[in-house]
Amino acid sequence: MSADLHTLTGAYAAHALSDTERQAFERHLEACPACAQEVRELEATTARLGAAADSPPPPELWDRIRAEALVTRQLPPVVGRGERPRRAGRRGTAAGRRVPLLLAAAAALLVAVLSVTALNLGLLGRADRADRTADLVAAVLAAPDARRVAAQPGGTGQATVVVSRQRGRAVFVADGLPPAPADRTYELWVVNRSGPRPAGLVEVAGEGRVTRLLDGPVTGNEQVAMTVERQGGAARPTSEPVVVVDLKA
Amino acid sequence: MTIGTEQGTSVALTWTRREPPHRPAQAPAARPAGDDALERLLALVARGDEQAFAELYQRVAAAVFGLVSKVVRNPAQSEEVTQEVFVELWRTAARFDPGRGTARSWIMTCAHRRAVDRVRSAERAARRDDLAGRRDQGRPYDEVAEQVETTLERERVRRSLDALTDLQREAVVLAYYGGHTHREIAELLGVPSGTVKTRLRDGLIRLRDHLGVDA
Repeated sequence: MSADLHTLTGAYAAHALSDTERQAFERHLEACPACAQEVRELEATTARLGAAADSPPPPELWDRIRAEALVTRQLPPVVGRGERPRRAGRRGTAAGRRVPLLLAAAAALLVAVLSVTALNLGLLGRADRADRTADLVAAVLAAPDARRVAAQPGGTGQATVVVSRQRGRAVFVADGLPPAPADRTYELWVVNRSGPRPAGLVEVAGEGRVTRLLDGPVTGNEQVAMTVERQGGAARPTSEPVVVVDLKA
Repeated sequence: MTIGTEQGTSVALTWTRREPPHRPAQAPAARPAGDDALERLLALVARGDEQAFAELYQRVAAAVFGLVSKVVRNPAQSEEVTQEVFVELWRTAARFDPGRGTARSWIMTCAHRRAVDRVRSAERAARRDDLAGRRDQGRPYDEVAEQVETTLERERVRRSLDALTDLQREAVVLAYYGGHTHREIAELLGVPSGTVKTRLRDGLIRLRDHLGVDA
């Protein structure tokens, strides 16, 4: 058919068809390799037109995208299509797991404790933020590649960082942390090759317990440090760290 | 970076030391990202690799946001649509089929479709908008033309657009950057919609050849 349908490749690639026309043409595409090939080429062409209009998005957009992606379930691959391997999207079989079961269990327990303490103690500020933060914390702790790294000896309290490369985030967990001196606060830092960046202030709850999602992305190649700073925190550390956790270790 | 040495028990860390940054997640977009690299990233994203997702974003966010903004115009809505696009890429990465085109083309097609969906659903609500009135809002082509010069790619695209006939160029620009259907374009340009369809096709074919696109 369809000398007529064949001419629709351009309008299709430019999304200039109505919904019904588009559906009809997509059915045609399944049966017409020539049109399918032409559409491929014309879509690659329009992609070039699109790229020529580039303009950087506002920086905070990424945080919103990331937060939404974290709570969005991914579709599994279509199985049995050509040579597409099945492995994509399947992980977490026993062999693939890098976390000892014990840690996973501990993480689960911690999540449970956390969701209670986080909300009850108001650790995380406003409730809507708390929900999201608790989700992120849970996502890190339950990640298949979660790794728990203890602080360098000699620091204050018992501190560890749980990091998931896959999630790109880390959670600072401490126990027995003394309250910060009056008019001072603890501040976390993520330190990479280009230096430290602020990763959030720490509020110490009863018995010096702290669970704090580090602000910003973490790859697992950094160090995490905590210093004592003025109320409100600082943009750069002004004192020697009281806790250092080397994620590379 | 010095932190407690093997035997050391003190906690020390040198704040100020700077070494050349290596491949950081937040690196400024490494531009012409090879399609191979994008395809590898998409395969990782399909497995839930968030770092790969961050890197993919770094590489294509400006192209996606730029295109979406051009079609949608409204900055807040452009951000929303860009967010939809990336969450969609995250969700459907496992469905990307390299047999059907490159990763870049898949991503930009998804971005364009979302942008067009957004303007059409808005317009469905305000159907009675005077189509002819839009002609006076300035041709999208003129804007593209103004923005060129900045990059080689823009210049190349600009030259390729210039190589089209007027009707081809207006059809392509109104469809792609303007987000219009062929019927709307027919109305705007005062030609039959069959003509618009064929001009879209032969215009894009000429662009393809001019840009040396391979797919």
